[in-house]
Amino acid sequence: VAELCVCDLLVAQCDVNCCCDPDCSADDFSLFTTCSVPVVTGDSQLCSQKAAVYSLDVEANPPERIFKLIDQVNPSIFCIRATNYKQALYLKSPEIPTPENFDRLLDKFGGATFSAEPDSWNLDTDAQNPPDANETYRYEYGVPVQTEDAFLRLPSPVVSSWCSDENPAAFLVNQATKCIRSVSVEKCDSIQALSMLFYINSSILASVFQVNITVQSIVAQSLSGTRTLLSGSDVLRLPMVLDGLCINAVLGVNYHITHTDTGEIIEAAAAFVLGAISKEALSIEQSFEISFTQENTQPVPLSGNPGYVVGLPVRAGFRPQGYPFPAAFLFAALALSSNKHGQLTILQSTSTQDCLAAQGARAPVLFGYNMISGCKLRITAAMKCQPLAQTLLDVLKGQSFPEYVASFGNSQAQDVLDWVPITQLHISEQMISNTLQSSCQIPVSLGIEVKWTKYGSLVNPQARIVNVTATITSTTLKQLPSGRERIIPITSSVVFTDISSPAEPSYKAWPTINIKLPFDFFYPFV
Amino acid sequence: NNSSQLSSLPLQILLYVNGVYYIFYFLATLAMIIYKSQVFSYPDDFLAPDLTVLFLMAILEVPRLYLGFKGNLTEAEAPLGLSLGLTVGSVVLCVYLLLWQTYVLWADMLLNAALLSAYGLESGLKVMAIAAFVS
Repeated sequence: VAELCVCDLLVAQCDVNCCCDPDCSADDFSLFTTCSVPVVTGDSQLCSQKAAVYSLDVEANPPERIFKLIDQVNPSIFCIRATNYKQALYLKSPEIPTPENFDRLLDKFGGATFSAEPDSWNLDTDAQNPPDANETYRYEYGVPVQTEDAFLRLPSPVVSSWCSDENPAAFLVNQATKCIRSVSVEKCDSIQALSMLFYINSSILASVFQVNITVQSIVAQSLSGTRTLLSGSDVLRLPMVLDGLCINAVLGVNYHITHTDTGEIIEAAAAFVLGAISKEALSIEQSFEISFTQENTQPVPLSGNPGYVVGLPVRAGFRPQGYPFPAAFLFAALALSSNKHGQLTILQSTSTQDCLAAQGARAPVLFGYNMISGCKLRITAAMKCQPLAQTLLDVLKGQSFPEYVASFGNSQAQDVLDWVPITQLHISEQMISNTLQSSCQIPVSLGIEVKWTKYGSLVNPQARIVNVTATITSTTLKQLPSGRERIIPITSSVVFTDISSPAEPSYKAWPTINIKLPFDFFYPFV
Repeated sequence: NNSSQLSSLPLQILLYVNGVYYIFYFLATLAMIIYKSQVFSYPDDFLAPDLTVLFLMAILEVPRLYLGFKGNLTEAEAPLGLSLGLTVGSVVLCVYLLLWQTYVLWADMLLNAALLSAYGLESGLKVMAIAAFVS
């Protein structure tokens, strides 16, 4: 005990305030303030044991260290007088592995956890059944798509912009990534990531059989950037060096995976963009995309499921001719076609701000975003009223203004009741004094007001469009004297109004206490 | 024939007290072994011999005391001699618990020392009683 010193940490140097440090001299002791370790004893459970007591005598000048070796007595009646077991009060030293006990130690301690009962641990792993071979391989959202050797790779930038090939594609997660890969024309046929084979080599594990990745189309991109669709997409074009260029290098891959509604992958196709790399290029940018579509459906992106998500386009469409609403029970799909994605659109302001030169640029109406756009109309005396009015109507409403708007973000075209008709209003600012003149009305503004409400549970309300009103405001066009011009602003706006009624909490009915006295309770008085 | 009895009264008292004390001793030692197994590291292969010795001593004690009572009261030297023999066995086991237990606590020492002294005194009185009966 006299030799043990817990605070002696520095070798051959004096530790500050460590009274038991053998490296300290009397001068060092005189500089200490206290003793950090006053007592060093053995196990206090023993009835009597030696203890080394260190203290500083601050009265003396200079202060000196006092060292005493005393016998400490444990007064408890349960103190240990003797032990016949050598390791009683010490930590057990671990077994040193030898060739004889190595296997046993590995079994006991080799796993991720040590269990007090190693037998029960083994039982668990035995009880797990090996996956049933007949069970079809179903994927869930976010699970990496597995192939024969590893995962379906979608190279993407990690940390920096350089391509990392280890990014697995997750099921039902549509991704588009761009990354830079370092290349050199001399080694272009040996760099795996530039060859088509690298991307369609492995087949995807799905259902009982494996799904091969077919080549859907090949687009060749020239050095100047023009792209041409190559015929004969079943021919595998591998990169090779030609005239100092590396041709058939993969610049982009677009995977399309078709799945069933139960999560089994049934088809996989890849569309390639092949290009040429010139000698000076040290790196190229590759872009990769993967999209998942359910079989037998058109890939229409949903704007919310079910309620609209703020920022996603408002879906709209037409009722096909000949189908009275809502009498028919069998519906053809509503032709979703205000633009090719079935969205409601408004006029998009251009830099020239000239309505007539607008080129038909339209912006999709995004749910929840109030928008206003416009243009300036230059009216000269020579303009005729009727054609001008028609042109402006086209400018404001677009080529095919829809009749119905989807009430939920995921409304299917078959469910006609999920679609809200657009109410069209016509307001004309007529100045009373001019009613006698055959006035010319031209539309000057289109205001679309979308009323929506919160639908569903209080915790997770879904946005639902209830009413859409398109108001066209027309104004009288006064005949201009010849040679004069006028500029009229034309505006179109979209406003989203929340008309949800405040939520009413409802309570479960309180249990009623039904007490009835037995009918002869008051016998014999009654 | 003088009516002085040969049965030794001190021996009878001591045997009776021994019986009562032994019950207390057995329960206390068992409780302390349980305490030791919880507080200290007491692996199974050290716990087994200690418990075996304790229970063996308890099993020996019953016939020992019975034979002692019987021999003293009937003034027969055979049961008393047999009891003396069993006492020797009990002494050995007591010494084990005193010296060679895995953990010997201070309380252990006191209990065992008291039991040993009782055994010693008893043995002396038994020898005197046998001598009295034989002669």
